[in-house]
Amino acid sequence: MTHHWPWWLGGLALAGVALTHWFVLGRQMAVSGRFTAIVNRWRFGAPDAGARALQNASRADLLAAIQAATHAEFGAQEEASNAHASSTRTSESDGTALAALAPSEPSAAPVSRVRTLAEHAVFLGSLVLGGLFSALLAGSLELSLAPSGEIFASLFAKTPGGGALVLLVGGVLVGAGTRMAAGCTSGHGLCGVSRLQPGSLLATVAFFGAAVATAFVLRVLS
Amino acid sequence: MSTLLRTSILGIVLGFALSRIGFSSWDEVHRMFTFESLRMFLAFVVGVTLLTLAWPLVRRFSATPPRWSARPIHRGTLAGGLLFGVGWALSGACPSIALVQLGEGQAAALFTLAGIFVGNWLYSWVHERYFRWSAGSCVDD
Repeated sequence: MTHHWPWWLGGLALAGVALTHWFVLGRQMAVSGRFTAIVNRWRFGAPDAGARALQNASRADLLAAIQAATHAEFGAQEEASNAHASSTRTSESDGTALAALAPSEPSAAPVSRVRTLAEHAVFLGSLVLGGLFSALLAGSLELSLAPSGEIFASLFAKTPGGGALVLLVGGVLVGAGTRMAAGCTSGHGLCGVSRLQPGSLLATVAFFGAAVATAFVLRVLS
Repeated sequence: MSTLLRTSILGIVLGFALSRIGFSSWDEVHRMFTFESLRMFLAFVVGVTLLTLAWPLVRRFSATPPRWSARPIHRGTLAGGLLFGVGWALSGACPSIALVQLGEGQAAALFTLAGIFVGNWLYSWVHERYFRWSAGSCVDD
C-alpha cells in the first residue's frame, strides 16, 4: 500500500474519528472493549431482563422505582404519618433523605445503556469494510493467503505456516494484554492519554515500550 | 438515523483511516517501532495533542456534563500493557487492525483475529480463577 497519508493528515484523522465517535455514539472510542463485550456474551450468555432493565434505566426511573418499592413495603408517607400521628417520629425525614439523593434535574439519559451484541458486531464488521474500501480506492486489493510484508517475510518465512503461528501467538498476547490492561490503542492510547488518565498513560508507555523492544530484538535475531 | 447505521459509519471511517495511515501494514508498523520512519508516531502524537485540546472544549460546551469513565492504574495495567506491546510487534496488529487487514485482503489476519478472541477469553478465565482484582473495563466507555 503506497497511499499512506502524511503525518499531519493522519493525526487530524485520528482526532477527528475519536471526536466523531463521542458526538455520534455518545461514548469514547475503545475497540478492545467491544471484543471483551463479545467474549463476555459468549461466556456468560445474554444478561437477563432484570439486569438489562436496571442498566438501561435512567436515574429518575431508578429513584421512582425505589420510592414505589419503599411505599409498597412500608406504606405511603401519608398513611404512615396518619397511622402514627401520635408518635414523635415522623416519616418526613425519610422523604427528605430520598429527595436529597435525587439530582436537582433528574436526567432522562440512561445511567449506562448496555450496547447490543449486534452493535459490537456491526462495528467490527465495518472495520473490515473500511479496509476494503481503502484497498479498492487504492487499486491494491488482492487476496493474499500468506502474511504480507517484506520485512515480515524475511523474518518469519521459515517459521511454521510461513509466519501464521507468529500471528496467532501475537494475537493471543494482544487479546490477553488488552483485556488485562483494560484498554488498547484507541481506548488507552488515543482517548485515555488525551484525557490525562493515569492508567492510560502507564499502559501506553508500557505497550509502546514493549513493542519497540520486541521490534529491535526481532531485528537483531534476523 | 438508527444506532446500527451510525455505528457502521464510524467503523468504516475508522477502518479506512487506519488503513490509509499505514497501521494495517506489518512492515510500516515495524518501521515505526524501530524509528526507521517517524511518520506514524507523529500522526499518533498529533492525534493525541488535538484531542487533549479538544476534550475540555467539548466538556465546556456540552449541555449536560459528559460521563467519561476514569482509567485508573490497577494491578493489570503495566503487565497487560507489556503483553499487548509484545503481541502488537509480533502480529503487527492492535485489535481493530486485524479486521482492517482482512478487508484489505490479508487473509492471514484471520490467525491474528482468532488469537485476539482466544487471548481475551483466556485472560478472562485466568483473571476469575487467580487474580480477581477490579480491572475496570473498556465496555462502559
